Amino acid sequence: MSPSNSAEPHIVEDVAPRPVSSVDAASSAERSREPGTSPAIHALGLSKRFGDTVAVNSLSMTVERGEVFGFLGPNGAGKTTVVKLLLGLARPSGGEALVLGAPLGDREARRRIGYLPELFRFQALLTAREVLRLHCRLLAVPKAAWAEQERSALETVGLLERGDDRVGTFSKGMQQRLGLGVALLGDPSLIVLDEPTSALDPVGRHDVREIIRGLRERGCTVFLNTHLLEEAEHVCDRVAVIDRGRTIATGGLDELLGRHSRVRLRVGGLGEGWWSRFGRFGQWQRQDDWLVVEGIDAARIAELVGELVALGGQVQAVIPEHQSLEARFLELLGER
Amino acid sequence: MSPTLTIAALTIREAVRRRLLLAFLAITVLIAGLSAWGFDRLSHTHSLTSGETNLAIPQALILFMFMFSFVLALSASAIASPSISSEVESGVLMTIVTRPLRRTEVVLGKWLGLATLLAGYAAGVCALEFGVVDWTSGFVPPNPVLVSVYLFLEAALLLTLALLLSTRIPVIAAGVIGVAVFGAGWLAGVVGTIGSALNVAALRTVGQVGRFLLPTDGLWHAAIYYLQPPSLIAQHIADGGQRDPFYAQGAPSWAYLLWVACWFSIIMIAAVASFERREL
Repeated sequence: MSPSNSAEPHIVEDVAPRPVSSVDAASSAERSREPGTSPAIHALGLSKRFGDTVAVNSLSMTVERGEVFGFLGPNGAGKTTVVKLLLGLARPSGGEALVLGAPLGDREARRRIGYLPELFRFQALLTAREVLRLHCRLLAVPKAAWAEQERSALETVGLLERGDDRVGTFSKGMQQRLGLGVALLGDPSLIVLDEPTSALDPVGRHDVREIIRGLRERGCTVFLNTHLLEEAEHVCDRVAVIDRGRTIATGGLDELLGRHSRVRLRVGGLGEGWWSRFGRFGQWQRQDDWLVVEGIDAARIAELVGELVALGGQVQAVIPEHQSLEARFLELLGER
Repeated sequence: MSPTLTIAALTIREAVRRRLLLAFLAITVLIAGLSAWGFDRLSHTHSLTSGETNLAIPQALILFMFMFSFVLALSASAIASPSISSEVESGVLMTIVTRPLRRTEVVLGKWLGLATLLAGYAAGVCALEFGVVDWTSGFVPPNPVLVSVYLFLEAALLLTLALLLSTRIPVIAAGVIGVAVFGAGWLAGVVGTIGSALNVAALRTVGQVGRFLLPTDGLWHAAIYYLQPPSLIAQHIADGGQRDPFYAQGAPSWAYLLWVACWFSIIMIAAVASFERREL
């Protein structure tokens, strides 16, 4: 698989986004698509060593503006270290990177970055509103906009009812929701989410996916660091797979999973061996009552079915099968 | 509001909401109440002459203020030690330092918030205790404001040191080191006093070096000086000079105060540089 920097069309189903901010979504989306705008993240040969241990090994990748980018890898692959390098929390041992067109750790660029850390903790003695207000202050959000920003963030993450409760009384999942709310403040151009659903129940995970889709709709770039492949499969436009500090694959999900999939068919009324005439669609195999076509272009399935019906075949079942991201992920790691 | 002031306000708000601060205040009021009873008994006892009472009350006040200076020092170490290290360990600082502010502003904001609390406590405890003494015995220290300032400076030095330790060392270790250093500084001062009394040059040097390496004892003695009425100073001079660790012969020199300012600046710059360079 050759690494690609092109933004692939996303394959997830369209879901109406929830409002994520009071900010004019259209203007944000427009801004992100300005011609000549630098990528949200561009890393070239980024490395990080801790003594003799190489945590990040000459990592290169580009995250385009406005896309949801999944950063995948097994435990200990160096994902969180990369996030820390990108946010200026740690210094690279080598290589370079630009985030929103600025050098790593640039103060002005940080004004346009929202971050939900893997280890999310907030001031236990403050209320959720006070935590959000603190971050509004640090972001230099105009005071007149604080109330709306707080309300919007709390509503988006489902904590509007608990806004005046102290964070110390929150469950882990609620604190993670609050962390997401904090990351949404100030209309960021880039949001870095490090394992954003690690403490959430299925409902919370679904909500986070909806929020991410909403962010994409308003043109915000989302860098999603996760080991939950299902999560990436649901929301990401493109992904990078990292292992032992190195990118081993980058691309759109279609590209990564392969454009050719397979389809399982059950057809009657055509006798035996008829499929030898349809070799141009892919490789055929008989599996009990089923016929399996390997490597068929998904767009040609309808054409195949049409030809079978025209020949007088009784098409009883057509089941397209895609390789799951998990299977591809394991395959990639196995290739290493 | 600048990021430094925002962090300072946050630090104060969090500290005020902690029960630890309430516990300190409760203990302080309790001790001040007990001291009121003690000073009242002392000023109305018939076994002392009025001259002896006039010397005993300031000496007792110095002992009480020593205890409060210890509480201040302990508080400074206790509240500064976890201020950065525990927030790094828990992850609380992660979302703060990724905002558009310098790490220097985080350190300065923390220091400013904690120093404000200590200044408030120093001023409050001096006002309370001096009020108690004045009410029960009529004695007022020669310069109560400077006493409060030097007590605060003593605690502020420990606060700065504990903050520096907190940028690199885990909470408990930083706290223990802070208190131990304070104790060592005081002990060096006592050794120096003994050296002066016995005219042993080596011991006297220990005291002098100690006051330069860690100026807390020197600042405590500055506070003592402004607690002493002229009659007490005259009594000590008549007794042959400095033999008492709770006696100060003179006000701190400008050179010493300049050194204290340098010491403070060096530690503060080290704290800022240490946190700036730390990888989180």
